[in-house]
Amino acid sequence: MVLSPNEVQVIASLVVVVVLLHLFLGGCAYSILLERKLSAWMQDRVGPNRVGPHGAFQPLADGLKFLLKEDYNPRGVDKWLFLLAPGFIMIPAMIGFVVVPFAQKIDVTGLVQLVGVAQPNTEYLVRLVGADINVGLIYFVAVGSIGVYGVVLGGWASNNKFSFLGGLRASAQMISYEIPMGLALLTIVLVSGTINPFEIIAHQQSTAWNLLQMPVAAILFYVCMLAESNRAPFDLAEAESELIGGYHTEYSSMKFALFFLAEYYHMIAGAAFFTMLFLGGWSVNPIAGIIPWDFTNPGNFWLLGLLQAAIVLVKMAGLIAFAMAIRWTLPRFRFDQLMKLAWEGMIPTALLMVLMCSLWIFLGWQDWMVLASLATIVIVFTVHPFMPRQPHPNRRIKIIGSRFSPLEDSPPPASGSGMPVNSPLSD
Amino acid sequence: MSLLIAEVDLAFYIPILVILLMALAFVVANLILSHVIGPREQGSTKAIAYESGMNPIGSTRKRFNVRFYVLAMTFLVFDVEIIFLYPWAVTYTQLEPGGQEALLFLGRILFFIGTSIVAYIYAWKKGVFRWD
Repeated sequence: MVLSPNEVQVIASLVVVVVLLHLFLGGCAYSILLERKLSAWMQDRVGPNRVGPHGAFQPLADGLKFLLKEDYNPRGVDKWLFLLAPGFIMIPAMIGFVVVPFAQKIDVTGLVQLVGVAQPNTEYLVRLVGADINVGLIYFVAVGSIGVYGVVLGGWASNNKFSFLGGLRASAQMISYEIPMGLALLTIVLVSGTINPFEIIAHQQSTAWNLLQMPVAAILFYVCMLAESNRAPFDLAEAESELIGGYHTEYSSMKFALFFLAEYYHMIAGAAFFTMLFLGGWSVNPIAGIIPWDFTNPGNFWLLGLLQAAIVLVKMAGLIAFAMAIRWTLPRFRFDQLMKLAWEGMIPTALLMVLMCSLWIFLGWQDWMVLASLATIVIVFTVHPFMPRQPHPNRRIKIIGSRFSPLEDSPPPASGSGMPVNSPLSD
Repeated sequence: MSLLIAEVDLAFYIPILVILLMALAFVVANLILSHVIGPREQGSTKAIAYESGMNPIGSTRKRFNVRFYVLAMTFLVFDVEIIFLYPWAVTYTQLEPGGQEALLFLGRILFFIGTSIVAYIYAWKKGVFRWD
């Protein structure tokens, strides 16, 4: 039996998928610990430090605890939907990252010959990627959208009004932020002219990171990434001060754990995509178009391939830590502010960004894409003062009849008295 | 760069199938394990939905604000539009910049986006995006 290079690639991809799935599951558990440690550090606390040295075994203890808790269906829940919801949110989160490339190429000719399935005079170069498909970006958009079903089903099936409200809010939020995310991705497609992840990275290595070429798109994408994974400041769905726990209030034991893991898995997948789209994957030189040097991998030494994967993972870890720092720095949005930001702020900006990019491409200014971002910013700030005024989102809403906004026919406050006495209750 | 169907090796999609099955197995195994291992007890008030300690009043499956529905419809308009834009973007970037064909492509997509911008402005004026 002999294998063609494509078949060897599929086998390598299977290995990558299995390794990465376990790596990211462990990464999920430990990013929960990292988040608790980071929040403790930012709030001048100690954080978990009882289980193992510096709390290192805390994720294992948590997982065991979740398994040993009772799996309980409260009265009135829709049993099947209640069971389906954790799966619907966890599975799309787990399969999203497969199209993200981790290394350029690794020469496995020697290995294939050793096993004895090599074709003569054939070079076997494999890419470190889960699925080497052309439509990587489309796959990401498609899979990323499924997660909203889990949230809606969880909220609906719980037979709890707070869960239901949380599910509604979360679905409105997730679909709203999908649009600017799709438009930001579209600018990437416009600039690199392809939807193949490897070619997007190759394009960044020959010009510059998309973060520098299109900072506006990068910011839009990062914000949408936070919103899609329901991370603070967009964690309206589980606003504990208003909605108890949101859509997962009624969930217990491993079902709850799946919701919890999915949030972190979403974050990991989002970080992987941000690395691929805006940080040039394994590229270490952000301005390769100006200083033409970058870390390339000739493929004949497999450690270099692993080094590239390590670079990608380090960039992902940085993005995840940044998202955590954001969570413990910014307060939560209010729902009307959230919707306003998405529909009246980000979507027009993203649409304008797409139009600017297509105009720049029509004029042949591909090397000056950063000017398209600048033009977008300038237009947004020029047009904004001329937009119809709306009441300020943080205005004070008067409670008529209170001592600060008295009733129309109540007597004016007595001058000279220290305490306002014009409350309708006082006379 | 070519987008011919014949060049696509469908075998590359096998890992996606495998990871889908693995994710499914992970979820199912966890749910079954916790169901088997966990304790099971009943209590008189345990089955009540937790609504901040209050006794639930009425059913949950009631009518909700129509705004969510209108928002979903507006989302559909844009989502479908974006999906149509991806193939356009890939083709458009391969045309000669400033050429006749590129101008045609740009004009068509400007019209296409323009139609949804009209819908967007209408929705804005109607107050779809106002939640306060």
